[in-house]
Amino acid sequence: MEKYINEIIRPKIQGDGGEILFDSYDGGTLTVIMKGECSKCLILDRCIHWIEGQIETSTGKKVTVNAIRKKPFFWDT
Amino acid sequence: MAHIEVVRRSMRPEEYTDLRFGWLKRHIYEDKTEITTFKIREARQTAEMQFEFYDNEPRDLKRGDMYFSPDGTAFIEADAVIPEKYMGREIRFSLKTAAEMIIKINGKYAGGIDPNRESIVINPFISSQNVHIEIVSYNRSKPDDERNPESLSVRGCRQIFEGGYFGVVNDAVQSLVYDIELLLNAAKSDCFNEDLRHHINLELDKALNYIDFDNVKNEDVLLAAEHIEKHIFTDKRYKGNGRVALIAHSHLDIAYYWRRIHAVQKNLRTVLIQMRLMDKYPDFRYAHTQAYTYETVEKYYPEVFEELKEKIKNGSFEPVGIMYVEPDCNVPSAESLIRQCLYGQNYYREKFGIEVDTCWLPDVFGNSWILPQILKKSGVKYFVSNKMSTWNDTNRFPHNNFIWKGIDGSEVYACVPPTHFISWNMPDQIQKNWDAFQDKDTDTETLQMFGYGDGGSGVTEEMIELMHRFDKLSVMPETRHITAKEYLADNFNATKNLPVWDGELYLEMHRGTFTTKSDIKKWNRELEYKFRNAEIVSVLRMLRGEDYPAEKLRDAYKKLLINQFHDILPGSHITPVCRDAIADYIEINEKLDGILNESGDKYFNSLNDISRKSITFIEDENGDVTRLGKRGYFTYPYIDPLSSGTVQKPVGDDTGWISVGETVETAQYSIKFNSDGSISKLYDKYIEREWVKGNFNKLHLYYDYPGVYDAWDILPNYKDKEEYLTVEVPIHLTFVNGDVAEFTTVLSTENSSWKMITRLFKLSGNIEVENIVDWNEKHRLAKVEFAPDILTREVVCDTSAGYIKREMNKNTTWQQARFEVCHHKWFDIGETGAGLAVINNGKYGIGVEPDSISLSLLRATERPDPTSDIGHHEFTYLIVPHSGDFVEAEINNIALEYNVPLIKADFKLDMQFGELYLQSMKLSEDGKNVIIRLSEQNGKRGILSGIGEFSVTDMTEKYLYSATEYKYTPFEIITIAIDASCLKDKI
Repeated sequence: MEKYINEIIRPKIQGDGGEILFDSYDGGTLTVIMKGECSKCLILDRCIHWIEGQIETSTGKKVTVNAIRKKPFFWDT
Repeated sequence: MAHIEVVRRSMRPEEYTDLRFGWLKRHIYEDKTEITTFKIREARQTAEMQFEFYDNEPRDLKRGDMYFSPDGTAFIEADAVIPEKYMGREIRFSLKTAAEMIIKINGKYAGGIDPNRESIVINPFISSQNVHIEIVSYNRSKPDDERNPESLSVRGCRQIFEGGYFGVVNDAVQSLVYDIELLLNAAKSDCFNEDLRHHINLELDKALNYIDFDNVKNEDVLLAAEHIEKHIFTDKRYKGNGRVALIAHSHLDIAYYWRRIHAVQKNLRTVLIQMRLMDKYPDFRYAHTQAYTYETVEKYYPEVFEELKEKIKNGSFEPVGIMYVEPDCNVPSAESLIRQCLYGQNYYREKFGIEVDTCWLPDVFGNSWILPQILKKSGVKYFVSNKMSTWNDTNRFPHNNFIWKGIDGSEVYACVPPTHFISWNMPDQIQKNWDAFQDKDTDTETLQMFGYGDGGSGVTEEMIELMHRFDKLSVMPETRHITAKEYLADNFNATKNLPVWDGELYLEMHRGTFTTKSDIKKWNRELEYKFRNAEIVSVLRMLRGEDYPAEKLRDAYKKLLINQFHDILPGSHITPVCRDAIADYIEINEKLDGILNESGDKYFNSLNDISRKSITFIEDENGDVTRLGKRGYFTYPYIDPLSSGTVQKPVGDDTGWISVGETVETAQYSIKFNSDGSISKLYDKYIEREWVKGNFNKLHLYYDYPGVYDAWDILPNYKDKEEYLTVEVPIHLTFVNGDVAEFTTVLSTENSSWKMITRLFKLSGNIEVENIVDWNEKHRLAKVEFAPDILTREVVCDTSAGYIKREMNKNTTWQQARFEVCHHKWFDIGETGAGLAVINNGKYGIGVEPDSISLSLLRATERPDPTSDIGHHEFTYLIVPHSGDFVEAEINNIALEYNVPLIKADFKLDMQFGELYLQSMKLSEDGKNVIIRLSEQNGKRGILSGIGEFSVTDMTEKYLYSATEYKYTPFEIITIAIDASCLKDKI
């Protein structure tokens, strides 16, 4: 799962000025850290559903993605 | 008694006007018909015009469906039928989207849709009711322009498709909407007279009372418009003043929050939109920069390019900006800036038969003092750049229209417009421009650029429609919509007493861009000198009868120039842009290695007038020193200028030249190290003086929290808080042989390690410091400080084509604002008779304090790139204490030796250029002559002679006159052309 996030999903997220970092995968829940533009995206939930869909299509695994936003200090208001 | 805030709960008349204005806009479309046959294929762009598709087959796309994915491109198509009732009317295809769409109708490029506009007119592209629609669409989370609030609300990677429509517009409603848009802007702006604003509000209220919004009728709309005409537009009691020229322009970052591969479509969309506006509004003129962007249209969209050429020919589409791209103008070398002009101008000449006489850099982060000469000698009369007027954080730049005098005394006309280069042509923006204009006394008009930008997009119909109404609003300044060429000619050529600015155009902001993305800067420096070597070697081989690889060199050079764009080289971009740049550098490096094709035992010294007498590292697998990860040895090559020779590896192994105790003693120095590698005593026995007063070679890690402009800025208070490094391994002697001794210390933070190796040499007073860093910080700025025992108020900085002296004292706000400045290969601080230089091979930022200078080494920013600079870094710098001043000590020559590698090749060129630096030698672009570019770098004048007859050319290789000698002046850059056949006897 970590490899999939790093190699398949991350370059796409980075292409939009965002960042996704694998945190943990436990019991069907994938926890990721969202940084950069993702950290303040108003419609991040749509992207998270897309990531879940991509994982299911590519690996056959149904996962729930738990996205933790980590804003840089200047957006952390 | 408690204070009770009284909140008005009923609607004010102005709010009621706003509300009704919103209702009115719902009636712009007289009728709309949804297109329900869209199909979509989603993809991701992998290279220019190359896509990786997610779907094998197109899928249906219906209103309400989700479309786009992160970094996504979508290909959308539909076959649709225009309703019969629309035929004969102006028909629009409309689609509200956050994405950037290029629209083809029946196979023809019809226009563009993006967050700033939602429809195109399709009549010119249809011959019947049947229409085939093709859309290439790129979605990105950051809109072109965050200043457009509507585009902000829809940002995000996944979008909801809001449907596509054919429609016809109610012209009366649309016209009234434009009228009210104009008037509401004036009424809401405190730029304008309060009585007028009240008057507008009152009359707008009355005008809108004509319309029953439950039953909007055309005759009522016309009555409302008539009321506005009669009671506001024809009322000339309120007078404005000022003169503002309106130049249409769209700023296009080649890469920023997107990769340069996306700029191809961004540019096409922008070009298409502007050309369609020209079709609709014959008076519309638009200025577009960067020869590279024209090249991409020519390469990928030849049919659009043909139309573009026609519009350039008829004067509506105006190429501005001589440079190939809009580069950073602090970090690139003089030769790079010349090549920007050369390749840009040659393209305009070849493709459009024109010469561009403007340098158009609205967004560049400050401009080097060497630019005026380069521009003037490239045929540029006018320099335009907005940044200093709108972004300076300390001092207001005092001029808008002035003469800019360069380091060598060359002068160009300069325009620094008073306000931002992105505006949407609103009355208050125009008034603000005039109010801010500082050269009213020169009787010139001020320049206002309008059009959305950053990622292109440009002017909208609304901006032009409003512009056509400006003369109706008597309170506004007098405006005229003209070309850039007209504006510049009218306001500079005959204007007397223009003020003069003699110095660099330092931007009091974005000071971090000299340092952010360390690897990019390092590669850029290395490749600039590698190109120099590759071109010289290629000329010498050509003189021996081999082919000159002109096309290979030009293509590779252009790639380097693209990566000097002002959001690539400065480091202000997202993660994949950095990845692309490094991949480009590796590709260029391999190509240059192929061209250099080094072999044999001899080394060629491509430097002229420099005999390679400085300590030099020679790579050799059998060497006993490891430097920057490579084995080799240190030696003094002593190879004559422009000649080859063998290099001897030192044979002596007597280590008695150095003794290590409480102090380290060599023949020249008595040195005391601190455990962290800094030096507390550096006594020079030869000239009998101490060099150290305070922190010297002292590494600092400062807290670096500049805010939103993270990658761009270093704040003046950066020294307020420091993280102290832990000394893991105190400095100690780790290697010594007969010529060099290495002292190593290892420092650390919680997340990073920093190994510093200080090298002393038996026969050289130069001290080299190598840094091997595993960097995993956030918001830290690493600097190495030098506080020498030198009484001076100025630091001398290399510009790559001469030096600039900068004040270190802090008496004035102008001095205070320059606490971090750009330099190139070296800086020097000195007293009469002695001084100290620090030479680098890829660092550009220095901090200037009254008693010390710090070389900026690494940053750790997270916007726009959360991964910025994290990783492994290796770099060196050279500390050079010297007697005499920096010219007598030949600091520039030592810095050249440190940066320009020897080449494994056997050549001898029997030519001398005196003290001038051979900046470049190449085959001319027309393939007929050898171009030799010489640069005076020490502020001296003299005569170039003894090389036979030559042609003096400008920097774009245009013949000026023939000569056998040339009297040059301080800091002059001279370009000459010599017939290759005349040089054959020189080799």
